Amino acid sequence: MSNIDASVRVRQPSPADDADREVLDRVAAGELDALDTLYDRYRTMAYSIALRITSDATLAEDVVQDAFLGAWRNAGRYSESRASVKTWLLAIVHHRAVDAVRRRRPTVELPEREDVPPPQLTLPDLWPEVAGRLDRDAVQGALRVLSDVQREAIELAYFGGLTQQEIAARTNAPLGTVKSRMRLGLLAMRRVLLGEVGAFAGLGPDEVAG
Amino acid sequence: MITMTCDQIRDLAPAYVLGALERDEELAVAEHLRTCPDAHAELAELGGVVPYLDEVVPLVEPPASLRGRIMAAAVADLAARSGERAEAPIASPAPRPETGARQAPGTMGQVIPISAARSRRDRRSWVLGLAAVLAIVALGTWNIRTQQQLADAQSYQQRLAAALVQAGQPGSQVAVLASTGGPGPGPGGIAVMPANGAGILVVSGLAPTTGSQVYEAWTIAEGQPPAPVAGFTVGSDGIGYLDRMPTSTGQTLTVAITLEPAPNATAPSSTPVAAGVAAQRGVGG
Repeated sequence: MSNIDASVRVRQPSPADDADREVLDRVAAGELDALDTLYDRYRTMAYSIALRITSDATLAEDVVQDAFLGAWRNAGRYSESRASVKTWLLAIVHHRAVDAVRRRRPTVELPEREDVPPPQLTLPDLWPEVAGRLDRDAVQGALRVLSDVQREAIELAYFGGLTQQEIAARTNAPLGTVKSRMRLGLLAMRRVLLGEVGAFAGLGPDEVAG
Repeated sequence: MITMTCDQIRDLAPAYVLGALERDEELAVAEHLRTCPDAHAELAELGGVVPYLDEVVPLVEPPASLRGRIMAAAVADLAARSGERAEAPIASPAPRPETGARQAPGTMGQVIPISAARSRRDRRSWVLGLAAVLAIVALGTWNIRTQQQLADAQSYQQRLAAALVQAGQPGSQVAVLASTGGPGPGPGGIAVMPANGAGILVVSGLAPTTGSQVYEAWTIAEGQPPAPVAGFTVGSDGIGYLDRMPTSTGQTLTVAITLEPAPNATAPSSTPVAAGVAAQRGVGG
């Protein structure tokens, strides 16, 4: 518990975060050029995530369009979210991309609903103030400490759009095992990344991560 | 609706933060979190790292055309939104079929007849389609350098959106105004005469007015002299706007714009700079 409190307490919006909020306020007011700015900032990340999940360029374009239009319509509700604008927007992209691949599967009956908030929007960002410094190398380094089965479970869940039951079926593992792999994998990543954050912030890992 | 206990939330936490639950389960977790006195810190503990997974995806640039699609969709959404606001207080009367009117002579510009027989849904999608086309055209030539130009462009887009929504209302007559000055760029716009109340005219590409000059809008019914609607001045943005177009009479009507040396002209002093024909109501499209 205390480690969560500590990490939430150190959260301070970065300048990029503030600039994003300003843009999003204008998006909420229906200003087209603000949407254009938001698109410029995050189009590459958004499209790359959608493409990684759908493996289909046409579908990925539809997902990104759908997500930016969702952001355009719902920007006024951003303040309910505890995440940074970047996380908020990319969580919408992720959510729509997963919907798109699940809808493509003939066996899945997906309800047509937009009222399910992406999970990341119900959670606070952990370290947005150092997000820019937690680069690709750091995250790849954190993924490397996972066991193969942990990494597989996390990737099938986050990038494969599979449910935990589907992961269990796909990997021939009991559901409880899949849950443990995801849980332990996420905690291991957290330890490694918080260690990096602690180093950046001039704190020992103990002080940040507990 | 599924209801969940705190223990179930803890059990589902890793799958929830990774998006690996069915959507109805996900909704049940979100509902639980909204009302539960327990902060469920385990979710933040597990979920805090998840956004960082985005950092490892191979970066691929989207095609350039995607920007136009998204902006066009946003403009269409803007049009639909102002349409919802406009429709709410108005009880739409059943359109009366009008017959017998003939096309006015001296037809200029394009004609977009809106059939009163079309369903509301058809009209809506027609409007949105046109809005999207216009947005793509507008974005293709957008070259905004100053805040003022930006404000002008936004104001133009919003007025255009309002006019397009009005154009989609049952019983509206619509004239697409085109330059009468031959080929090449010139003024263009749209005039809407709605079934109830005042209509909207939006024109871009007009030369700025100077001194006492005004642009005057005219409506011309077949066999009648031009009737003045109202005058308006135009600034450096080249955009003219009137929200006093007459209510539709159902008859074919030509809408024309002339440049006048002074306000309150009773007859045009020069040939129109732009004009278009609003077809009679009830003509199939």
